[in-house]
Amino acid sequence: MTRFVRPFGLLTLLLLPVVAQVTYQDLVRADPNNWLTYSGPYNGQRHSLLKQINKGNVKTLVTKWIYHVQRADHLESVPIVVDGVMYLTQPNEVYALDGRTGRLIWRYRHQPPLGKGPNRGAAVYGNRVYFTTPDAWLVALDARTGNFLWQSKIAEFKDGFWSPAAPLVLKGKIIVGVAPGDYGMNGFLAAYDASTGERLWRWDAIPKPGEPGSATWAGDSWKTGGGDTWLTGSYDPDLNLIYWGIGNPAPDFNGDLRKGDNLYTECMVALDADTGKMKWHFQFTPHDTADWDAVEIPVLVDAPFHGQTRKLLVQANRNGFYYVLDRTNGKFLHGTPFVQSVNWAKGLTPEGRPILVPGVEPSLKGTKICPSTSGATNWMSPAYDPDTSLYYVAALEGCGINTKSYEKFRPGGFSFDATGYIESPEEPRQSYVRALDLTSGKLVWEFQQIGSTEYGAGLLSTAGGLIFAGCDQGIFTALDARTGQPLWHFNTGQAITASPITYSFKGRQYVAVEAGSDVVSFGLFGEN
Amino acid sequence: MRLRATKTKWIAAALLLAPIAASAQPPKPAPGNTNPLGHSEQAIEQGREIFNHNCTVCHGLNGAAGDRGPALGAGRDYSRRKDQAIFDAIQSGIPGTNMPPSGLQPMDIWKVVAYIRSLRATASEAFVPGDVAQGERIFWSKGRCSECHMIRGRGRIVGPDLSNIGGEEPLSVLRDSLTKAKPQIPRGYRPVEVVTADGRRLSGIAKNDNNFSLQLLDNQGRLELFTRDELREVAYGKRSLMPSDFETTLTPAELQDLLAFLSRQAIQGSERPEDSDEEQP
Repeated sequence: MTRFVRPFGLLTLLLLPVVAQVTYQDLVRADPNNWLTYSGPYNGQRHSLLKQINKGNVKTLVTKWIYHVQRADHLESVPIVVDGVMYLTQPNEVYALDGRTGRLIWRYRHQPPLGKGPNRGAAVYGNRVYFTTPDAWLVALDARTGNFLWQSKIAEFKDGFWSPAAPLVLKGKIIVGVAPGDYGMNGFLAAYDASTGERLWRWDAIPKPGEPGSATWAGDSWKTGGGDTWLTGSYDPDLNLIYWGIGNPAPDFNGDLRKGDNLYTECMVALDADTGKMKWHFQFTPHDTADWDAVEIPVLVDAPFHGQTRKLLVQANRNGFYYVLDRTNGKFLHGTPFVQSVNWAKGLTPEGRPILVPGVEPSLKGTKICPSTSGATNWMSPAYDPDTSLYYVAALEGCGINTKSYEKFRPGGFSFDATGYIESPEEPRQSYVRALDLTSGKLVWEFQQIGSTEYGAGLLSTAGGLIFAGCDQGIFTALDARTGQPLWHFNTGQAITASPITYSFKGRQYVAVEAGSDVVSFGLFGEN
Repeated sequence: MRLRATKTKWIAAALLLAPIAASAQPPKPAPGNTNPLGHSEQAIEQGREIFNHNCTVCHGLNGAAGDRGPALGAGRDYSRRKDQAIFDAIQSGIPGTNMPPSGLQPMDIWKVVAYIRSLRATASEAFVPGDVAQGERIFWSKGRCSECHMIRGRGRIVGPDLSNIGGEEPLSVLRDSLTKAKPQIPRGYRPVEVVTADGRRLSGIAKNDNNFSLQLLDNQGRLELFTRDELREVAYGKRSLMPSDFETTLTPAELQDLLAFLSRQAIQGSERPEDSDEEQP
């Protein structure tokens, strides 16, 4: 008896070994036809070498497809693209789409769908897709079918943890972070074996008594210190160092309850990728009381600094300052404000420590603090264009009125803010795209997003001489990378709270961005 | 993958592979079981009779959808998952909807609660008798299931993943998948053979398709993405690859063992909080 229909020789299906789809070498090489990690190349520059879409023809850019993600509200993930297949996420779900047509290939839904978003994206390695969930699991799927392979618990959901960041994958390891420090949960980074899901190392963001840095926490305040890791870091394959920004201390707004610098909150840390050992740290905002998580994407650039080529790490920090560090040792090289709304510090010392303005901290009655807790920038990605040597950042001007209280920590995932802030009505918020000179941080041009007072949309740089930017008004705009002049725009109809990407398939370049509940992909008019 | 309507229609055939011990897991208890009658077969059967006599003015027979009331055992998340919440809705009605107070006696309501919970129970929540270890051997050998299906990364990718089949589907669906013919080939699993414009001949599964494009999982395990103008020929398979003759190819005991094994395939994630009675997003 023949039990199977064999019209097309399907019994041979998948009997042959399948070549690994994405290797570590692929991730290092960063073929511009693909978009392989959250920030594109490992260096976090979000600069693509694709230039089929360029300053000369961007006016003919048109929508190629729109994919509506059911139940989505405001997508914040960055799609991954491998050989024309786009992988994107929303909380608890992964979608694989045809990047040329927007047609669904598969969908996976994590069960039970506990917790809330956001989720900021997936990672790919070999033939697998990895993502983390609102109940803090790391899940591995077959990239071709979405088949479940394994899942590993990162942290205890019942305690209040979740995991919104896109994983960073390197050399057979999946690096994941957690949220939320705002609940008084101590953050960490962990590496998992890409094949088995076994945890390989863990680095704790808050040192325990007796460990280096523990003296920066008064009493037992380290136990509920926060310091989460909710946005994806960058990686230098030559130095084998992972760079990851660390979130705020808890309670957020009352520093009286945690006197000291509160290491390693508000730091950039460099970890050995093989061991998780910290090589160096640099703290942007010691003893932060404004909830200025320092998680913003670290951008790695090799460039001349004072006549000498240096391995730099630059970051526009939520506290309003732009920093230039030596990424081999964490040494502070330069820092300057990139927004006008900075009232908490008069400047930075030669070591990069802020020179505080007395009294600008949360109070029982309320104190004006600039930037606001929303930050001078936030999770929206910056970009760097090596052709212009300009660093591009989505900047937000504005101030907040911050108050404090003497709230006590409650276990089980409750907010441990010790009060909060409102946006100051006297200084209306205004968002910009700003281009800064890489090493001096001086403003070269700015593009005011008129009508835009909320943040969310990141930036993309391309070798076509373009910067792509979005805004909360739903406008997706292409700017001249050298001048900031708008060259093209499209109204997506929904607020953009994610960062755009570009990719190429079968010889055609696409630019894609998530807007509200949809993914929109653009290409040149007349092309497939 | 969450192609609920398709997954269970495709439990198929296979190669000899070693059993995997890790995949056999005990069934999870259903959350919120507070029914004083428990969930005995007697209570469930009596509840079914009471339901069919009293509730089918609006709901359909045996929990199906009716003219004025929804199905009570369909594959979706319900806003009332606990015994007490279902009891309260039957006793008092649901304000703002067409659902009235039933007027049933409390013990009869609990029987109906037991019946409704039985409609919704996934296979992993039910007690499915059988030799799980033997069922596992059948899955990987005599049943030939892994020739098309995968569990936790082992097996093949022609048909739906079965890693969580017991956690998603009730036992009745699993049994039907193995024993009843499938008139429709589920979307995403249709066999297809194409000839490209440059003469390449490829066969595999159409993961998706329409007038303008076709997304093919080819027999090398590669995703091939085509627009229709890149294809010279497209030929679809007419029949499902999923066999439905397990009642004849397996003994009754073997079929039960296979069901027992499949019912244990449930991904153990976080527990729903006990006070979580809201509909999930």
